[in-house]
Amino acid sequence: MCYLCPESWMALILSGLLFLTVACGPAPEHREGDRTMVRYWYVSGATEQVPLSVTMFNASQDSIVVIPVAIPWKEHEKKVLTAILSGHPPDVINLVTPIVKWSSRMALMPLDEYISTSETGPHDFYDANWADVTWMDHVFGLPMHTASYAFFYNKDHFREAGLDPESPPTTWDEVRNTAHILDRRLPSNRLIRMGFLPDYGNLQTPLVMAWQQGMEFLKGDTLVNMNDAALINAMDWIAEFYEPFTLSEILGFRAGLGFADQHGFISGRVSMMILDNTFLDQIERYKPEMDYGVAEVPVWGDYPNVSSTGTWWVAIPRGAKNPDAAWAFMEFATRAENQLHEALNMTENLFPANREALSSPEFLALHPTHATFTDMLAVAVSPSVVPMAHDLFWREYSAARESILYGQRTPVQALAQAENRIQRELDEAIEYDRYVRERMEIGGMP
Amino acid sequence: MFVSPWIIGFLIFGLYPMVMSFYYSLTRYDVLRLPQYIGLQNYQNLLFNDPDFWISIWNTMFYTGVRVPLAIILSLLLAVLVNQAVRGVRFFRTVFFIPSIVTGVVLSVLWMWMFNPQYGLINSSLAALGIMGPLWLQSPDWSKPAMIIMSLWSVGGPRMLVFLAALQNIPGQLYEAIELDGGGWWAKFRHVTLPSLSPVIFLWGILEVIGSFQVFVEAYVMTEGGPLNSTLFYNLYLYRRAFDDFEMGYASAMAWILLVLTLVVTIVQIRLSKKWVHYG
Repeated sequence: MCYLCPESWMALILSGLLFLTVACGPAPEHREGDRTMVRYWYVSGATEQVPLSVTMFNASQDSIVVIPVAIPWKEHEKKVLTAILSGHPPDVINLVTPIVKWSSRMALMPLDEYISTSETGPHDFYDANWADVTWMDHVFGLPMHTASYAFFYNKDHFREAGLDPESPPTTWDEVRNTAHILDRRLPSNRLIRMGFLPDYGNLQTPLVMAWQQGMEFLKGDTLVNMNDAALINAMDWIAEFYEPFTLSEILGFRAGLGFADQHGFISGRVSMMILDNTFLDQIERYKPEMDYGVAEVPVWGDYPNVSSTGTWWVAIPRGAKNPDAAWAFMEFATRAENQLHEALNMTENLFPANREALSSPEFLALHPTHATFTDMLAVAVSPSVVPMAHDLFWREYSAARESILYGQRTPVQALAQAENRIQRELDEAIEYDRYVRERMEIGGMP
Repeated sequence: MFVSPWIIGFLIFGLYPMVMSFYYSLTRYDVLRLPQYIGLQNYQNLLFNDPDFWISIWNTMFYTGVRVPLAIILSLLLAVLVNQAVRGVRFFRTVFFIPSIVTGVVLSVLWMWMFNPQYGLINSSLAALGIMGPLWLQSPDWSKPAMIIMSLWSVGGPRMLVFLAALQNIPGQLYEAIELDGGGWWAKFRHVTLPSLSPVIFLWGILEVIGSFQVFVEAYVMTEGGPLNSTLFYNLYLYRRAFDDFEMGYASAMAWILLVLTLVVTIVQIRLSKKWVHYG
């Protein structure tokens, strides 16, 4: 019997080495020559070019160098989460998901101290974008880019239907009436075009309608409000809108809509839609000959207009090794003059978040629709309506909307169920948050 | 000592995560902050306060219960077909095997278009026969059957090959004995082929049940659990709670329930196998 023969020792040592190699691999470098290295992770689309803000910053000084790394859209949250847990996160992250999802979990550094000594502040951004990067009166990021929504309509379809292509509908009732004039069917009665499709697109019509009626989805930070007359009105509007169609028609029609040239508006199968500014690029790429108009989001009766926005923010993750250098880059990249330079020279139609850049004559002159988008930002609200249960809110909202569409529940029943579930989840999240805050502290947060 | 690499690997990457996941299942935990011990509350919420949990259980059971027998029967029939001594049989074996190479996201995207109610190949073909096809993935009644049909795409893959190998190992004398007794093809299949293949059928039964309990990609890519939660499978719901909501404690409890469920079903399968599986 040879319990400790050389081969056995060798096997043990090799497995130990293998473990050490995997578990204790080298930490990422934090300096490149004399310059402090800032590792910057940003969500990339189809083109993974170096962001212009990085090129400009690296050329503007010689003490910090930003190394950009593009991370894929579909898995970006998991990658950032894993990096933070590993203890070697990047110095700056650029994401579009609600910042509260990260800040409420202490995954980001509060930036209050940097903000207090900087010229950058809330006055540089629209309220909704600034609200998107704050939580519990603390700032956790800076808005980098923004998405604004507006009402797109196909002018050719308007002409064909005998409507004035320069007078798009301005209220939701006008939208419903105009939409049904634009609907088209084959002689076989098959539906081939819809004037408007309320729950299609990335800005939910019922939510916009509810916001416009002054609805708040969260009262006093702790009370969820879904079963509200404003949202019920909106759901009723949609039910009435769908009356001329059968459920099978709506579902079948919607299933035929896809992406790129198969997108409902671009393919000409939907005549009017609320879309964000990035669609200007998509129309240019897939159907440059399309004659379309861009107007303000329609309003609910006599109520004032309200829209929404999306914020691409930059923030410093917990455990970042070079927060000062990271802040220097973030501050530089969100300054008006740099954002304007980037906007004027970048290929994608990402809007700068800095309002001075957004309202500058050079930026507005880039495209005839930019002024409309910028106007809508001034009346936008943050889409993060129940911050501590954000994903669940959207899931429950979608489930409620779906069950109403399929006739499974009335709006009151569906919204009451959604409200109960979100409230239960929020209560548990608040209780957990309280427990954690009594035992953990990070970066001056209470 | 030669097994030490495996033991170390198992302890670090197997046992430790299992023990920790059980501990986390007794906590409220979002990965980024401290876990809060809450006893059996996650299990209690799952079993008594979470309708989506039971919906996901039902969806997964339905999918498994319909898919597993169908997949095994079709694989077996295909194996019997390609076991015939006919000209070009190797070509057919290859043709039947090819679809199983395409899996995951690519397969899901392909079938999304196949199932498209307006432009899809299936409904267009049905329309040519004068039949109005269903809404498939848009219908809460048809979405699960659609996913089962899609999963049968790969019946000609490894399962068929193993059945084929098992078929070719059946001694010819057994068939001759049936012939001498005056038995036809059905008697041969019923009294020789099936009993001889029963260990393989049993093995695939266990593997397929475990695999079906873990169905995820199809629903994640094609329907995101809809319509009306009709394709909210167990693993999709677990993934949502873990990676959308960062509710790792809750998701860990779900993982342990799935483990127990799989264990129970497998033990039942093993117990029942004594009545119908013939070795030797």
